[in-house]
Amino acid sequence: MRTLTEKDIESGTTLPPLRVDLSPTLVISTALATMDFTPVHHDVERARAQGSKDIFLNILTTMGLVERYVTDWAGPEALIRGINVRLGVPAYAGDAIVFSGTVVSREGAEVTVEVRGTVSLGDHATGTVRFCLPG
Amino acid sequence: MYSLSGRTAVAGIGATEFSKASGRTELQLAAEAVFAALDDAGLSPSEVDGLVTYTQDSNQEISVAREVGIGDLSFFSRVHYGGGAACGTVMHAAMAVATGAASTVVCYRAFNERSGRRFGQPDAGLGGEPSSQGMEMSWHVPYGLMTPAAWVAMFAQRYMHTYGASSEDFGRVAVAMRRHAATNPAAWFHGRPITLEQHQASKWIVEPLHLLDCCQESDGAVALVVTSAERARDLRRSPAIVSAAAQGSGAGQMMMTSFYRDDMSGLPEMGVVGRGLWEMSGLAPKDMQAAIIYDHFTPFVLSQLEELGFCGRGEAKDFIANGGIEIDGHLPVNPHGGQLGEAYIHGMNGIAEAVRQIRGTSVNQVGTVHNVLVTAGTGVPTSGLILSQD
Amino acid sequence: MTTTAESSLHELLTALGERQIAVGEVRGVAATDPVNLPMIHHWTDAMGDANPVYTDEDFARGSVHGEIVAPPAMIQVWTMPGLARAKGAASPMDDVLGALDENGFTGVVATNCEQTHHRYLRLGETLVPATRMTGMSGPKTTALGVGYFVTWVVTWYSGDEPVAEMMFRVLKFRPREKKSEPEARAPFPLRPAVNKDTAFFWDGVREGELRIQKCGDCGELRHPPGPVCPSCRSVNRTHIVAAGTGEVYSFVVHHNPPVPGIETPFAVAVIELPEGVRIVGNVVGCPLEKVGIGMQLRVTYREMDDELVLPMWVPRES
Repeated sequence: MRTLTEKDIESGTTLPPLRVDLSPTLVISTALATMDFTPVHHDVERARAQGSKDIFLNILTTMGLVERYVTDWAGPEALIRGINVRLGVPAYAGDAIVFSGTVVSREGAEVTVEVRGTVSLGDHATGTVRFCLPG
Repeated sequence: MYSLSGRTAVAGIGATEFSKASGRTELQLAAEAVFAALDDAGLSPSEVDGLVTYTQDSNQEISVAREVGIGDLSFFSRVHYGGGAACGTVMHAAMAVATGAASTVVCYRAFNERSGRRFGQPDAGLGGEPSSQGMEMSWHVPYGLMTPAAWVAMFAQRYMHTYGASSEDFGRVAVAMRRHAATNPAAWFHGRPITLEQHQASKWIVEPLHLLDCCQESDGAVALVVTSAERARDLRRSPAIVSAAAQGSGAGQMMMTSFYRDDMSGLPEMGVVGRGLWEMSGLAPKDMQAAIIYDHFTPFVLSQLEELGFCGRGEAKDFIANGGIEIDGHLPVNPHGGQLGEAYIHGMNGIAEAVRQIRGTSVNQVGTVHNVLVTAGTGVPTSGLILSQD
Repeated sequence: MTTTAESSLHELLTALGERQIAVGEVRGVAATDPVNLPMIHHWTDAMGDANPVYTDEDFARGSVHGEIVAPPAMIQVWTMPGLARAKGAASPMDDVLGALDENGFTGVVATNCEQTHHRYLRLGETLVPATRMTGMSGPKTTALGVGYFVTWVVTWYSGDEPVAEMMFRVLKFRPREKKSEPEARAPFPLRPAVNKDTAFFWDGVREGELRIQKCGDCGELRHPPGPVCPSCRSVNRTHIVAAGTGEVYSFVVHHNPPVPGIETPFAVAVIELPEGVRIVGNVVGCPLEKVGIGMQLRVTYREMDDELVLPMWVPRES
């Protein structure tokens, strides 16, 4: 389990895509693991009553998945400095989210990656993750 | 290289009356104009083997052929892009005759544009069509930019900004056209000239265009007979030789909404037509004794004079202010009164006037006309002609 | 937003927002539990995050951290109230969000979440959150309905040391009427045709983005869009989101004849964008005589009916 170095990364480098199937189990277990007990994240009936078509991913999980997407690629010792996410369409249970990313800048050890998480309805999350390479 | 120049001629012209309510179908108007043109040429319907019209015309070639008694047709075609088709119909006819695809071709345009479907009225369906033109319109129609006046006004505003032209400069075109129409009994505005003050006081249609910057809406039909120059010499009328015919479309061209190319103060498609006409005819602007300049809206008369080389860029306002387009001017433009004064028959009535000027039979004859240039609809892919004395 | 009642409501909400911004940072209730391995483990399992610095003591000891650290994105988890929902200290957001609810802006959707992490957290640290409101803007017409954007920042302290910050923005909106209700709006009559080549643009408008087609190969920007790049023949299409500003290149004021669905007179402009393309749109929100070539604009979005959102342009200073 290697952490990337400055040699491995340059502006324009693309990250391998990551697909995460949004099973009801995933939506609910992540909501609970983030201590978010809002019914729309675990109770289908209540979610539908509010006009949603199903339970959907909570924001704390979106942030967690975006972070995971980048560190899965950059390696365990990449030091996360910032995660900026613009939220789009909901990520419903039963859908899948596909992350893609591109390095938009690397200045010394500091790297900025543009990340996009897309579901069948469109962009669920778009934004940037900043991290530093160790050493 | 094989050239179309001089091989064909317009041998007959015909028209209905120009009105606001013809009281008859568009097919009847078409048939009447075709009969009139054939009678003018001294030909019978059975001698016609080709028909050309606009894609926008509602009368099929075969319907017109049935009404008029034309038998076998060996050539029929249609030209697209609204009024930009006008001179294109003669070009297609001339090409057919010159290549032997047909011997005698009639071009026609017939509509009840005032009492029937009016082009100037907003049509909410324009943007909804799943065609490439519908897609173009979809960038404009939702914002209410959906009438020809509005599309032209967008260019006019930029033209005014670029060259310092004013609404009065456009108004002088309208005043000249109405002055010409005033002495043309066939014109709707016969006997009704206007002043620049009236132009300025007329209501806004789409700023910067006043009502009197816009051509009228008309019911009527015009037909033209095209045959070989050789044959035309044996017919009743002196031929109007087709010295040049050209179509033109520019880079980034759209239907009336070419707002996305570098410059919005010219009409590159008319530049294409102009270069084609001068090259094919071997003539130059100074060789023209008159011009029929498509005048659905006044501002594009200025741009056309510039694109065709009658004056420099931005100089048309001075050319016009100095009386340049009057009947006794440097370049008499639209002696019949144009579409602002005579009638809006989608440019076909202008071609008929050009033929009369060559024959020397116009009510507003400008003297001896050896060569006359004619243009078609602007803001769209367009066309042009140079007709000459034999 | 034209009636007197609406404008006095706007003043009231704006004043309340300004007051709460002036209050500054308000400390909240400390985390129930310190940063701990079981909660981290639970979180990494659910997220599918296998990074060993969070859970593998041996690996962590040999890493840059020298010990187990918490995932940065977990920052907010530590101070979530949990199911018991003990009523904590008041937040400066309570009054503002409450006032918006009371005035019918009952819908809520998060639009932005931006975290800054100053350092990684170690096991045993106890965090205290502090919240300050930083902004409120509106009323704005969005695809969801008319609403206000409200922004706040939470800073987490370990002792006196700020360890992380999070900017959070929500849209509080008046939910649109359901289509089945009798008040459902008549469809706007001037609809664009939309196909595979242009859907991205109209999807973007619904999400409050002005999208410009960008060739996926040569990078050329193009508007109006089309299926094939005229520069390099590529059909690999992407798009960028325009900055949303522009300048009037030309314009008209339409008076006659009447146009369905739009009250005359109205202004339409060809707008040059800083990205280098032009687009056509209405100029709204200013007297028509103020519209002129060179005028600086910014985009906004207007809901025309239950389905159609159009980009509109307003003077940039407003």
